[in-house]
Amino acid sequence: MSAVEIREVTKTFGAFTAVDNLSLEVPQGTVYGFIGPNGSGKTTTLRMIMRILHPDRGIIQVLGNDSHNAANDRVGYLPEERGLYKQMKVRDVLRFYAELKGCRDSKSSIATWLERMELTAWANKKVQALSKGMAQKVQFIATVVARPELVLLDEPFSGLDPVNTEVFREAVLGLKRDGATVIFSTHDMAVAEKMCDFIFMIYKGRKVLDGTLESIQETYGSDTLRVRMEGNGFSWQGMQGVAKVTDFGRWQEVRLERGTDSQSVLSALMNRGSVRHFELSRPSLHDIFVRIAGPEAEENHHA
Amino acid sequence: MRKVWVIAVREYLAAVRTKAFIISLLLMPVLMGGSIVMQIIFKKIEDRGERHFAVIDRTSGEELYAALTKAAEKRNQYEIFDPETNRQVKPAFKIERIEPSAPDPEALQQQRFELSQQVQAGKYFGFLEIGADVYRVNETSRPVDDRDESRLLMEAIYGDDHHSDPERVRYQSKMPQDSSFSLWAERVINEAVQEKRWAEARQPRQKVMAILRPVPLAAKGLSRRDPETGRIIDAATESQIVRFLAPMALIIVMFMMIMVGATPLLGSVLEEKMGRIAEVMLGSVRPFQLMMGKLAGMTGTSLTVSALYLGGLYYLANRYGLTDFFSFGILAWFLVYLVLAMIFYGSIFAAVGSACTTSAEAQSFVTPVILIAVIPMMVLVHVIQQPNDAFSTTISFFPPSTPMMMIARLAVPPGLPWWEPVLGALLLLATTAAIVYAGGRIFRVGLLMQGQGAKLKEMARWVFQG
Repeated sequence: MSAVEIREVTKTFGAFTAVDNLSLEVPQGTVYGFIGPNGSGKTTTLRMIMRILHPDRGIIQVLGNDSHNAANDRVGYLPEERGLYKQMKVRDVLRFYAELKGCRDSKSSIATWLERMELTAWANKKVQALSKGMAQKVQFIATVVARPELVLLDEPFSGLDPVNTEVFREAVLGLKRDGATVIFSTHDMAVAEKMCDFIFMIYKGRKVLDGTLESIQETYGSDTLRVRMEGNGFSWQGMQGVAKVTDFGRWQEVRLERGTDSQSVLSALMNRGSVRHFELSRPSLHDIFVRIAGPEAEENHHA
Repeated sequence: MRKVWVIAVREYLAAVRTKAFIISLLLMPVLMGGSIVMQIIFKKIEDRGERHFAVIDRTSGEELYAALTKAAEKRNQYEIFDPETNRQVKPAFKIERIEPSAPDPEALQQQRFELSQQVQAGKYFGFLEIGADVYRVNETSRPVDDRDESRLLMEAIYGDDHHSDPERVRYQSKMPQDSSFSLWAERVINEAVQEKRWAEARQPRQKVMAILRPVPLAAKGLSRRDPETGRIIDAATESQIVRFLAPMALIIVMFMMIMVGATPLLGSVLEEKMGRIAEVMLGSVRPFQLMMGKLAGMTGTSLTVSALYLGGLYYLANRYGLTDFFSFGILAWFLVYLVLAMIFYGSIFAAVGSACTTSAEAQSFVTPVILIAVIPMMVLVHVIQQPNDAFSTTISFFPPSTPMMMIARLAVPPGLPWWEPVLGALLLLATTAAIVYAGGRIFRVGLLMQGQGAKLKEMARWVFQG
């Protein structure tokens, strides 16, 4: 059974189509990454799964239910815009959210999570006394304290420092180990590549990618070179068979035109300078994202 | 239903733990107890020592100065002590004679100024001036048949220049509002002046006083029959103040509850929206559950406060023997209407809070609502005096005013036929249901709207289209 099944769902706000005829299946026990540019429909999709918004057309099944609210208590939701009651104590806030999910005995769950997030000492402090990073941890605990089967996280890693990012990553994987299904949206392609079993990309309300990282990369083939040349000021000007060069400074990522032989590019490079690194690989998720939603794609779209 | 309860409990606890709530709770007993304590303290402070008064008697013979001195001695001897404890409870008056100035206006002003300075310096508490023509009797000059009898009588007693010439006797002090000396002096002077006038008119004072004694009129409620003994019970004498007291107190409490309860609700919805708590909540509850939970919490808070206030009022009523005016029937209706009023105004405030983005914006939306809530306060006096005329009846069936106006009319004896409060409650219930429905729909959309606040037109669209 799928944790979430979306069938031909459309949602409009006035004249604007936020989600356009979308179908998606999220298998149970997986980590599913939602990517896409701002305003492409990620949050709208998550809100529809939460039944905060209702689709104009189509069906959404959550944990086998398609009626409103039926499964809500088994779903945890961390919205992108999130806040806590500032006057309440950390423990009281967590107990409150657990009770809202119908979880009456939340004591051990709260204790475990506070321990895991290293917040035990703050349990009896007011929320307003917490630092931003700590408040984000409390919000995460509030989402998962009632042991949901499905967890939706909208941009869970935004604004976190590297240490807290690690803590959150570990916590998400912990949820998966415990059998929960996790859906999260992110702008961090590296995180999506490393953590997600499946990646789904939405662009202008339409699904443009859906599958495992490997299967997505497969469709683009091995058309990407990672190159590092000796010295600065190396120029790719006039190089044959090169579609696009992304300069990271010390590294260049090069997309080859279809049918170009990578060896001929290597020999051309060797003629121009000293090659320190030459690697033929599949395109990164970042590159795929930019190919779909970057300015180049915009131009093609308009043409 | 459980979720509504969980939210209500949180709202209630959040509200009752605020400073504002504790202050409003303490305020009532403090005001009640404080006024008693203050009275006792002021009594103690005021009642010590002597007060010196300067008296200028411009009549020939200065008989009125003599009368004041004599009366003051008598007063200091007998009237300033508590008869039971024999302790002094009022200040003693000491009268001091001042040589009258020349009668020309300039000298008069000069003397008044000098005495004022002495009062300022603390030598005297105040000074009293008795004009030279204080004995003069003004004969009425206009034809008798032009006026009515009672006015004629008043003028015979007081003279028709009573109001136009109030300064035949004048008293100046730093505290003209303190009437303890001026009232006493007025009485002493008048008795002495009248005595002299009677003597000149060759009429004994007692006889004329007996003729002029007014006939009192007793204002009473209705006679009723005791349902147990079957005997007819005479109506109790009612004073106008008591008649006003019960409805006034009940309505003020209700008005305060609406303001004290609904205004924080506006703030808390705004906090949830702008603090981005709303969407977290919507991950667990439906918007309507969230709104109902908040309304329930707020109503609980108000009931707590009003229980205390009503308890205080009941205690006072009991103490002064006025429990008839706070019957349990009225209190029961008060609670019914209070709950309906809280939900009625609460849903409006919650909807407004959800549609706005700043408290200034929210204030401009609720101002008209508050003005409507104030209407009953403005027409209160009329409704209490004429509880059953067309205006009072109509306004008590206008749903936004029903809670306060119906209670006011119920609290005025003999009350209302049973169907009126019931019909009023039903009408209010129907309106409240409609308001809750509309408010819920605005709440649902408004809560997730960020950026600019909504216009009235948009809100109307949310209600009708969702």
